[in-house]
This record gives sequence, structure tokens and C-alpha cells, in this order.
Amino acid sequence: MTPRRTSILILTLAMTLAGARCFALDIKRVTLGNGATLLISEQHQLPMVTMAIAFDAGARRDPQGKGGLAQLTAQSLTEGTRDMAAKQVDEKTDFMGSSLAVEAGQDYANAQITTLKRYWPDTLHLLAAVLSQPGLRDADIMRKRSELIAGLNSQAEQPGYVAQVTFAKLLFGDRPYGHPPEGTPESVATLTPQDVRQFYKQYYRLGSAVIAVVGDVTAQEVKEAIEKGFTGIEGTVAPQAEPAKIEVAPGAHVTKIDRNITQANLTLGFGGVARSHPDYYRLQVMNYILGGGGFSSRLVREVRSKAGLAYSVGSQFESGKFQGSFQVVLQTKNASANQAIRMVLQQMRDIQNTAATDSEIDSAKKFLIGSFPLKIDRQSTIASFLLQIELYGLGLDYADKYPALIQSVSKEDVQRVARAYLRPDAYLLVAVANQSEAAINVASADQH
Amino acid sequence: MKTINLRRRSLASSVLLLAACFGAIAGRAFAGVTDAVKAVTLPNGLRVLVLENHKAPVATFNVFYKVGSRNEQFGRTGLSHLCEHLMFRGTKKLGPEEFSNIIQANGGMDNAFTTADYTNYFVVINRAHLDVPISLEADRMTNFAPQGFDSEKAVVIEERRLRTEDNPQDALNEISQAQAFIEHPYHWPVIGWMQDLKRLTLDDAIAYHTMYYSPQNAVVVAVGDFDGEKVLKQISESFSPILNGPKPLPVPQVEPPQAGARNVMLQHPADLPALSQSFHTPNFNSPDSFALEIAAVMLAGGKSARLYQKLVVEKRMVVDVGAGYDRQSFDPGLFTIAAQMRPGVKADDVLEELDHELSRLREKPAGTDELQKAKNQEQAGFLFGQDSILRQAMELGVYEMLGSYKMYDDYLAGINRVTADDVRRVARQYLVAANCTVGVLVPTGLLNHPGAANGESGGVIRHAQDMRQSPL
Repeated sequence: MTPRRTSILILTLAMTLAGARCFALDIKRVTLGNGATLLISEQHQLPMVTMAIAFDAGARRDPQGKGGLAQLTAQSLTEGTRDMAAKQVDEKTDFMGSSLAVEAGQDYANAQITTLKRYWPDTLHLLAAVLSQPGLRDADIMRKRSELIAGLNSQAEQPGYVAQVTFAKLLFGDRPYGHPPEGTPESVATLTPQDVRQFYKQYYRLGSAVIAVVGDVTAQEVKEAIEKGFTGIEGTVAPQAEPAKIEVAPGAHVTKIDRNITQANLTLGFGGVARSHPDYYRLQVMNYILGGGGFSSRLVREVRSKAGLAYSVGSQFESGKFQGSFQVVLQTKNASANQAIRMVLQQMRDIQNTAATDSEIDSAKKFLIGSFPLKIDRQSTIASFLLQIELYGLGLDYADKYPALIQSVSKEDVQRVARAYLRPDAYLLVAVANQSEAAINVASADQH
Repeated sequence: MKTINLRRRSLASSVLLLAACFGAIAGRAFAGVTDAVKAVTLPNGLRVLVLENHKAPVATFNVFYKVGSRNEQFGRTGLSHLCEHLMFRGTKKLGPEEFSNIIQANGGMDNAFTTADYTNYFVVINRAHLDVPISLEADRMTNFAPQGFDSEKAVVIEERRLRTEDNPQDALNEISQAQAFIEHPYHWPVIGWMQDLKRLTLDDAIAYHTMYYSPQNAVVVAVGDFDGEKVLKQISESFSPILNGPKPLPVPQVEPPQAGARNVMLQHPADLPALSQSFHTPNFNSPDSFALEIAAVMLAGGKSARLYQKLVVEKRMVVDVGAGYDRQSFDPGLFTIAAQMRPGVKADDVLEELDHELSRLREKPAGTDELQKAKNQEQAGFLFGQDSILRQAMELGVYEMLGSYKMYDDYLAGINRVTADDVRRVARQYLVAANCTVGVLVPTGLLNHPGAANGESGGVIRHAQDMRQSPL
């Protein structure tokens, strides 16, 4: 590609940004009689409907020592209703070709259906029964609990998963986000049917819920159907106190987990920011350049493209309702672990010490702005978008505002947030590896 | 839907499998998807498919090359996938990774994957910039000049470690496949055997590109929010000047019929046992393929399916169980059932339950409701798949490579024609012990002790881990 061609591309981009405003989501927002906030985007191109409900019932609500309760509750809800056995719910769902699931994330529990338009009333009815009249029978909950533990045993075989879970536990401790939504085999084993029923009663409340509907329906019919179908779970959930700020003490805090495997699975990081933090967009641009931008990022360029040390390497700020984390994640053959760690730390220092180039900043902004439509190009991603704009207060016009939010980030901002948030001298490192081959030595890895 | 993660084309399972279940929606509302496709053959033989889809302001451009591990030779396995990686390492005009950098700076995301049968390069991009991937793909079809061969080969070797060496279920998949196929090149994994990978050279890759990356051996597909005529013109202008290389070599091997059950046992660092059953089956060329699709759904499509109810819910023997049938393989492939067991569960006990369920399928015709349920699941999956332009493009491209993109529409009718007797008949014909390869993973423990077994295997094979979509 010649430079001349590139400049033409840039020109076209500038033109599209003006035109990109018409996202045609045409979001309607209403508050329902039962207290829930409903956001609707009518999409009539295909005869199908997706609906997602976010309850304030995520894993951050798990009581101390009861990790996994939010997830066990979520998954138990689809295991039968007052009038139907678990198998009947599954049969009905599958017969319609619909999908119906309730899953807990860290911040919220998400109940979601996708259905053909012709089965929309029946699938909605089924979801309403599952959420407002769940069976929650002892036997079903205990069976689900045993499946959850079996799933955890399976995930324990994945070194990347083990590194992630260990990192979160060390970083967040007993705070929210300190355990995965599915808990640990030990914590799940303590959960009782009574715990589940209590959690359900407390947190599945429409007054604190957000509902997103996307598809071949009209706003009016959706509003009526939900107000009629979802009764008995009105009320709100008390807000949760903000947890104490995370501070990683100076130094490298290394945790080694020994496995008979060929690669070192590394997670390196520290505290990040909440989604609502004013530096959020500056961090997005900075992190794209550092390690979030795939082949356009420095970490991929150095660790993968030039050195051939890893297939996958990247960095990210995980930002939720509360302060989240920053992490670099990579896998490399055991013997390269020290070299890879050294390169990661060096990249953090470089972006702190030397301002990113104009071209890097420009490319990052062009990607973030230009690719925005890719994030809302089908029903499932539009539904997720609607939930997020409401839950994180982004505004119905967020898609239109987004380009300006990114454009306003300056080169100085990028360097400032790199200095303020990256901590190459105070980090946690979790290494799941063959430890004798990896011989991780942070002092030798960290020569600066 | 079918949960299956052990295939030589795992991407086919994750991206295409749902879409592979298409059927008629309420008779005919969506039967004519391909009527709107503009199809053209350029003078150099390149097939071009263009479909307008104005759902969202985005577009996708895909290039399919009819080359995969199926085209490789003993001792040179993994070459297709390595070549795919090298396609990102520069041309006579572009430096390494510049392709992706330009796409991203234009608001797009790009990636590629290799299967046993074909290699796909795809871009999803802001609709205003579809001209960018069109010209860049034309460039790397003809100006292949990769730099940094050694480091890219090292990346692929790391990929193999990640996907297979340290992934017990994939390791089992690899060795089972090698046991199921003796003569046919489906014998070896897409990513290649480790020792072969280490020997591959830049010259190997250049010769491979010359042979297989030419217009006569490719299909390009564009779907999205654009003016189809304009896009056709852009494609024609960019690709028409490209000359063909030598004619690709045929793949003459035919797998001999399997005569008798085969068993393979893999000792591998793992904590949980796992198993698989693989049966030789015909592909899309056979009318039986529709009944085999239905059989897979009846066995493992959704929580109400037979194997899920029996093994997960009732007997509590397995963590998960999946059944998958690869109807779209170029040559006849496998019908596979796979399960990861709970700790302490014996493979023989699970196999006994599986045998029981398969004999039920062979003996008793499915009830009307159960058959209809499977058809409904396929139909819904078909429609849901159309919500993604990338999935639409992939279906069109794969069918075109198999013979004609028009087959996209035929699937509907095929699924609807399946009777309970058909399902029983194909179960009797194919899902039988003498046609089965049983793979059993014997876990040797993940805690470190020197000298433990070291497994090898295949999987999907993407150019890069998908870039985490930047958050909102």
C-alpha cells in the first residue's frame, strides 16, 4: 500500500464518521408498571426476537464464603417451575428451537431468550414462569450443584483458567470479583437449596432490573406482554457498598503453580478502574496501543511477530461497576517465560517514558471509532449494548457520542494514564507452568 | 444445539455448526436466500459471490482457497496452516502484519482459519471501507512475499502447544482421528505433527502458495450493507489481472471401508478421563446426510436431547457430551460423539450407556414429536444464523466450494424430508461398532512428575486468537 493510497483511506474515514450517526437502533426507553426499565430496538429484517434481562444478582453479591451462589441460583432457575419439571422446561424450549438461559456474570445475572417470532409469545411466557415462579426444588438444586462442581473440575484442567482465577483471588481477595461466578469446588460444596431460594428472593427484583428487547416486535406489544407476564417479583435491591480500593504493594508478587505442561501460562497485572471512571476512554486508547489492539499493538508486535514467543498475547482493563483489574495474559513455552515477562515489563515502561507516536494514536482512534458498528450488528450484541448503556449510564445517544469521547483523547492523556495506571514496579504475576523448566526469576526477568 | 469441540475443524463447529443447521422457516419464508446473490466467474476462473444485506452498516469480505491439510503430504503436514500464517507476513508491497494494521485503522477486524479442506481469510468492516480488504486480498493472492519465516513458524509451534499438547481433549481428538483414517489425509491434524512443523521451510510455503493460491482455486464472497453492483465491479477490477499458477494436484486417496472396531488409548497429563466414538459417514453428496444431521440433534441438541438427559442429568457420569456430524467435509468424514467424564467414572461404563442409546436409535423409530423437535431446532438455527453477515458469507462460500452456493437453500427441504425410518436406517448403517473408532483418554495427572506421556494433536487453526472486541 503506497502512502498516497493510505491518505485516501483516511479521507474516506472522515467522511463516514459523519454518516455513521444513523445506527438505526431507534431505541425506545420506558419504565414499566413493575418498576423495570425497558429498552427496545425494533428490528424487522428477520422474524426473530432476542430479549435479555439484567438483574442485580451477579457474583459480586455472593456472601462471604458462598462463592458460586449467584451462578447456582441463576442456573437453578431454568430447572423447572412451580408447574413444570425441569425436563418439561427443556423439552418446551427445544421444541420451539428457542434458547433460554440464565447465567450470572460478575456484575449482573443475565436471563436471555432468542426465539423465532412465531414462538415469541410462548418463549416469553416460559421465561416469565422461570423467573417469577421458579420451582427451586431441593433435588434440582442439588443436581445443578453437582454439575457446577463437575464443570469446575473440568476447568481446573485448563492452565489459562487456573491462572485467571488465581490472579483474581490474589488481587481482589474477599472483595467482589475475587472469585469467578461459578465459585470454587470448595465454596460450591457448601451451598444449600435454602441459600439459593434466599438469594433468589433477595436479588431477582424487577425494580432494579433492566430489560432489553431486540427484534421483530413492536414496543407496545412488548410492554404489555412483560407487564402482564412478570408479576410477583416487584421491588428493588439495596445498593451494594463500594469496596475498598485495591493497592498492590511495591515489588513483584509471584505465584507459581506447577503443572506437567509445555507452556507457561502467565497473567501479570494490578488494579484497574471502574467503568464509570473519567479516565476510562483514555485508558482504552492507551491500552489499544500497548496490548489491546491485536496486531496493531506493541505487545503482539514484540512478543509474537518479532520474537515468535507466543501465539496469543494481549492486555486489557476489565472494568465493571466497581474497580476492576489490568492484566497482561500470554502463553509461551516454559523456557521462554523469563524473556516474555521481561518484554512485557519493558513495554509498560516504554509507553510510560516515551510518548506514543501520532500515527499510533491516530490508528487507535480510527479503529475504536470506525469499528463501533461491528459491536452492534446483530440482535445478541444489540441487546447487550442496550443493557450496558442503561446499567452504566452511558445514555441513549451513546453511539452518537462515542466518536467525540475517543477523539478528545490526546497524546498527553495517553502518556499520563500510562504513568498513572501501569505499575511495572508493583504487580502480581501468576505462572501456571512446568516450574523447573520455566525457572521463573523475576529479578533476572526484570532488568531495567 | 450440538456441542462439539473435537473436530479437525473446530471452527466449523463453533462458527458454522449452528449455521449448518438450517431448515425451512415456516415452509418457505427463507428458502430463497440465494436468489439475491450475484454470482460471477471472472475470466481467470475466480468465483465471486456478492449479497446485499442492509441490516447494519457493516460488510464482510471473505476469500476461500480450496486448500487445507487434505492437500498435504506425509512428512510435510501443517503446511496449509503455516502458509495461512505467512499470508499476514507481507507481500511485495506490504510489510509484516501491515495487512491487519490497515484493516484495523479502517474500522475493521480480520482473521483467517484453516481446516482439513480449505483456508478462509475474512474481514468484517465498516461498510464504507470494503474496498480496502478487496484490494489487499488481491495483493496477497499474487504478491506473496513473507518476511520473518522463522519467528512465524515459532508462533505456530506455540499455537500447537496451546491447542493440543496442553489440551487433553484435543490430544485425544488428534489420535482418534489418526486411527479412524488410515489412507486418507484426514489422518493427520490440521496444525500438523510437531516434527513436521519443525522441518517446514520458506521454500515449501512459497511453492505451496504458487500451486494453490490462484484465482482458479478460490472463491470470494462479500455480504453486507453496500451496492452489490459496485462491489462486484471493485472485485473484478482488483482480481481480474491475477494470473493462475499450475493446476492444483488432485487428492486421489480414498479411505478404505472400516472392517471392525478400532480402539485407541491415550495417556496424557490430565485429571479427568474422556472418550470419543467416531463413525465413518458420507458427506453432503449422500441423501443420508440429512438424516445424520437429525440423528446428531436427537442425540445431543439441547438439554432435552437423549445423551444429555441420560449421561448428564440421569446418570451424572459426564461433565458434558456432544455429538457432531460434519456434513460439509469435501471427502466423507466422521460422525463423532465425545464426552468428558466426571472424576472416577470408568470409560467402559459410559461406553455401555452410549451403546445402549445407539441401539435404541437403531431399533426404535423416533416419535413424531421428537423428530419435529429436531427439525424445529435446525430451522431456528438456520434463521438465527442469518443474523450474522459473516456466517452468511461462510455458508455461501463453503457451499460454493462443494459445488454450488445454491445448496444453501436446498438444505431446508432435505431436513424436512427426513422420516423416523430414515434416522433409524442411517443409524443401522453407520452408527455401528464395526464402523467405530473408540478413543479413551487415560489421565496421568497434571501435577508435575518427570517422564509423563506427551501427547500430540490437531484442532482449529486460526491465524490469531480473535482480538478481544474492545469494550463499549
